[in-house]
Amino acid sequence: MEGSSSQPSDSNQTASGAFKFLQNLPSRGLLSSTFLSSNPGGMRVYVCVRDTSPPEDQHIQTNQQNILIRSLTLKKQKGDSSSKDVKGAVAAEGSRKRVAERVLDSRTSAKRAASQSSSRQEGSSSSQASSRDFQGLTVERLRALLKAKGLSLKGKKDELIARLKSSS
Amino acid sequence: MSVWNYVVTAHKPTNVTNSCVGNFTGPQELNLIIAKCTRIEILLLTPLGLQPILDVPIYGRIATLQLFRPHGEAQDFLFIATERYKFCVLQWDAETSELITRAMGDVSDRIGRPTDNGQIGIIDPDCRLIGLHLYDGLFKVIPFDNKGQLKEAFNIRLEELQVLDIQFLYGCSKPTIVVLYQDNKDARHVKTYEVALKDKDFVEGPWAQNNLDNGADLLIPVPPPLCGVLIIGEETIVYCSANAFKAIPIRPSITRAYGRVDADGSRYLLGDHAGLLHLLVITHEKEKVTGLKIELLGETSIASTISYLDNAFVYIGSSYGDSQLVKLNLQPDAKGSYVEVLERYVNLGPIVDFCVVDLERQGQGQVVTCSGAYKDGSLRVVRNGIGINEQASVELQGIKGMWSLRSSTDDPHDTFLVVSFISETRILAMNLEDELEETEIEGFCSQVQTLFCHDAVFNQLVQVTSSSVRLVSSTSRELKNEWFAPAGYSINVATANATQVLLATGGKHLVYLEIGDGVLTQKTHAQLDFEISCLDINPIGENPNYSQLAAVGMWTDISVQIYSLPDLSRITKEHLGGEIIPRSVLLCAFEGISYLLCALGDGHLLNFILNTSTGELTDRKKVSLGTQPITLRTFSSKSTTHVFAASDRPTVIYSSNKKLLYSNVNLKEVSHMCPFNSAAFPDSLAIAKEGELTIGTIDDIQKLHIRSIPLGEHARRICHQEQSRTFAISSVKYNQSSAEDSETHFIRLLDDQSFDLITYYQLDAFEYGCSILSCSFSDDSNVYYCVGTAYVLPEENEPTKGRILVFTVEDGKLQLVAEKETKGAVYSLNAFNGKLLAAINQKIQIYKWTLRDDGTRELQSECGHHGHILALYVQTRGDFIVVGDLMKSISLLIYKHEESSIEERARDYNANWMSAVEILDDDVYLGAENFFNLFSVRKNSEGATDEERGRLEVVGEYHLGEFVNRFRHGSLVMRLPDSDVGQIPTVIFGTVNGVIGVIASLPQEQYVFLEKLQSNLRKVIKGVGGLSHEQWRSFNNEKKTVDAKNFLDGDLIESFLDLSRSKMDEISKQMRVSVEELCKRVEELTRLH
Repeated sequence: MEGSSSQPSDSNQTASGAFKFLQNLPSRGLLSSTFLSSNPGGMRVYVCVRDTSPPEDQHIQTNQQNILIRSLTLKKQKGDSSSKDVKGAVAAEGSRKRVAERVLDSRTSAKRAASQSSSRQEGSSSSQASSRDFQGLTVERLRALLKAKGLSLKGKKDELIARLKSSS
Repeated sequence: MSVWNYVVTAHKPTNVTNSCVGNFTGPQELNLIIAKCTRIEILLLTPLGLQPILDVPIYGRIATLQLFRPHGEAQDFLFIATERYKFCVLQWDAETSELITRAMGDVSDRIGRPTDNGQIGIIDPDCRLIGLHLYDGLFKVIPFDNKGQLKEAFNIRLEELQVLDIQFLYGCSKPTIVVLYQDNKDARHVKTYEVALKDKDFVEGPWAQNNLDNGADLLIPVPPPLCGVLIIGEETIVYCSANAFKAIPIRPSITRAYGRVDADGSRYLLGDHAGLLHLLVITHEKEKVTGLKIELLGETSIASTISYLDNAFVYIGSSYGDSQLVKLNLQPDAKGSYVEVLERYVNLGPIVDFCVVDLERQGQGQVVTCSGAYKDGSLRVVRNGIGINEQASVELQGIKGMWSLRSSTDDPHDTFLVVSFISETRILAMNLEDELEETEIEGFCSQVQTLFCHDAVFNQLVQVTSSSVRLVSSTSRELKNEWFAPAGYSINVATANATQVLLATGGKHLVYLEIGDGVLTQKTHAQLDFEISCLDINPIGENPNYSQLAAVGMWTDISVQIYSLPDLSRITKEHLGGEIIPRSVLLCAFEGISYLLCALGDGHLLNFILNTSTGELTDRKKVSLGTQPITLRTFSSKSTTHVFAASDRPTVIYSSNKKLLYSNVNLKEVSHMCPFNSAAFPDSLAIAKEGELTIGTIDDIQKLHIRSIPLGEHARRICHQEQSRTFAISSVKYNQSSAEDSETHFIRLLDDQSFDLITYYQLDAFEYGCSILSCSFSDDSNVYYCVGTAYVLPEENEPTKGRILVFTVEDGKLQLVAEKETKGAVYSLNAFNGKLLAAINQKIQIYKWTLRDDGTRELQSECGHHGHILALYVQTRGDFIVVGDLMKSISLLIYKHEESSIEERARDYNANWMSAVEILDDDVYLGAENFFNLFSVRKNSEGATDEERGRLEVVGEYHLGEFVNRFRHGSLVMRLPDSDVGQIPTVIFGTVNGVIGVIASLPQEQYVFLEKLQSNLRKVIKGVGGLSHEQWRSFNNEKKTVDAKNFLDGDLIESFLDLSRSKMDEISKQMRVSVEELCKRVEELTRLH
């Protein structure tokens, strides 16, 4: 405060300024009593006798893989997928369309559900889930699935999915 | 002392390093969470103020503290990372009021250079990941999955090596950090990176800003809708985002802390290094930032953390001064400040130096610390016990009893003070001028000694004398009724409450009367086996005027008995054992538990838990309070009941966490005490002592009593001189008002009672006071203050010049008697065989005090010893000198009288960077070092070879988690020769966090026993957040981590007393020792501090 008192004109300015900016400070009604009580000395000290180990999978460790090796592996995986990603934009568009289709599809299925048995509904929703899942799978994985069903392994990812879908 | 040491905290850390506000204990509850280095405190904001909830010890030094809200949760979680690379996520369990560990882990890396600018722990505002910057060049990511669970952490390489701050940006579709860093040309820039969680790598962020203020070191992320970041520099504040850049100049200052006021991030509080609080405002039109404004609000403690609470209240956490609760007012006060300090929370940190003195000469040590820094520097007088603030006193000899009375039953205040003497009774009352004046109550018999007095129902007073019980109207003051003792018997002991009177007459008779309106009725009578020594019928049941139990102490068979009222039938009889009769019994209730206290004639006190329905007495405990008979009385302070035990060592007995605690009072000998709550002296006590009647108020009931003496400058060394009854301190005054920051160093002399400044001596420019000593020399009866200094020149790495100044205190002045120039900084001064031992840079030097021909004195160099990097800390014992070196641990030197030389005897070959040393006994030395560890080394005189003898063997190692600045022999408590702990030698230490701790050397048998108890307690008392106690206490520095040995954690051991009975039983079974025995042994230890 020494500074402000040595510059009276300055402090006057701040006076009006701070008043303006100190308006409407957030308040939720706490600390609103005119007489505030406190006794910070009397705080209960926590003596913990219950088990404090975290849930089993929440014992976090750091991935010990060397950053260089990790980035190389990641790059390699990326390289694999990026070769198929040349027409990424098209694929993305395609997938958006499919989302729209799916929405329509689900509407119709909902209509159908009213007339059909519940087991049928479950089936349709599960097949929906699986078609959505295919999109998340890698090409290799899709090919493996096709191979298991004895279908052709050729074509783009979308074609593979379409083939899988039509088979199921 | 010995190698088996017990380390315990007497004063907990008070240095507030972090704080945050959020909904932690419930979705609707707003909490303030404060980190005090190794503890966190959880408080609740209520309309009435801050309500303390829980004080949580953490097994680690808290590096970062953050509240965050994972997706789908109704309340916040607490993220804590410790300096030893552990982290945990805690959740509050409202049902049990406990902390649940949601996740924990180890985030250390085997390779990596710890960051210079402290650890950074931040959480993405959209809760996608936790970011940690722990090692230079690495950014650790702990990702969340979409259920809010944490996944395996990974490191990302961060190109910027000198990182000053990192924050997450708000409102980014991908988690984005902004990094403030310094390049190798010392220019500062910010850069943004997106964290690609899938690729586990950074992607260049949306923007960067080069060439910022050279002092920029703080980033404030701005929440939506504005987004972006504020960069706080020393001369400018910059707002930066992808599409806006605004800057304003500020008065040069270093911003230490900030607190966000509004949820939309348009206002911030900034606290700077001089304790000035500013308001920073981002002006904006809708979402477009138009400018910045900064306004000075006022002055607070130098803030280390700022939390806006609610309704214009702000919590200022401080490392350098007291933390504060302040209110921002719309209108400035007379000094132009908008800041009103409503509350101060005592902070002793940083304790730079302290001394142990016995100012009141009561055989009890007090610690006087140099606390705080910069403008918040102060001295703190820390003593165990409670202070009585004397308000009035009269000389009165031979007081035999005292009681206060009211003038009517519903008067809230006491009017009369009845003082009984051997052959008369005098009555004092407050007159209109609020003075105590002798008065009369006509109905009282004033020619004889009064045995007991009390207020009674129906506006009546009761007086008991040896011959009768008199019932007097408190309004007309006339005698209404009188009950006479049977002929031939006199009343020996009496007690009463508002409706009942219990008397013991000669011939083992016990008589019970009840008080009616104007009548005294004898209800029952009993003849007991022996004579009665003391009685009590203090009502502890539901009816505050009527007791259903009476406690009776007996001669001859030394027992205490409980009788039921009104039928006077005996319920319980408890033999006290021993040969000392009970002198005072008291029924009382604390925190809903009823107790029977029984004081013996030899200063011991027995306490029992009393079952009020069955009269059963359990949990017998015995403590020694003094050596003389004790008189017990209850009194109230701040609407809580406590017990005053008057004796040669007056004590206040109170209860905390359902445990009885004993705090001694700063008075020498008190024969009687009674509460005297008059209108003029509210909440006061009348105290009879040594021919004097005193009226005074009592301090807050707590274990340690702290008195603050603000200095306005930074005290760095302190020393007490008994003969002149003064303290000398070396202090630094920072002048921030002038254009350039400058500092002036002083030696100040203070009175040891009033702490008034007597005089001062100003040191030269650039001259620092490094050490102070009060000593005398051989062939000279005078006592001197010796001051060691250093000339710290900006162009030198190490001081090459210093001085030793020798002063006497004459007529309140510091007279410079002698002065000796040295070739370096005088880091330490010790009195040594009538000579002066100085540690000067790398050298240890002995000076003789010689008489010159002209009668003046001078310091003459006698001999020295080289071979240290910097000899910072020196302690001596006989001819032995123990040196704590800057980085070469402890070495032992010996002074040889014949050759007048100093030789090295042995050294510890570890590379410990020392912060304090002390000699425990002839062979064992204690050290504290830079990585918050304690260790002890032992001289190996029996070694077979020179090599073995020249090595100090490390015998004890322990991670204290505190930076110790000073050890001193001494004790904070009264040492009673007859108690078991009276023989245990102790060392007190003071730390940067404001901890005052005690190291006690135990006998081996006790150590082994407690070590077993500690290992059993580890199994029962769990570390919060899953942190391990064993790991926490393991000695740890850059080079090694080894398990603690020969040091025990007293804080853990003493928490045994807080355990539930079933847990105690569990431990008792493991230990094969009874719970009572365990409690007794642990309680004894608690009396060390």
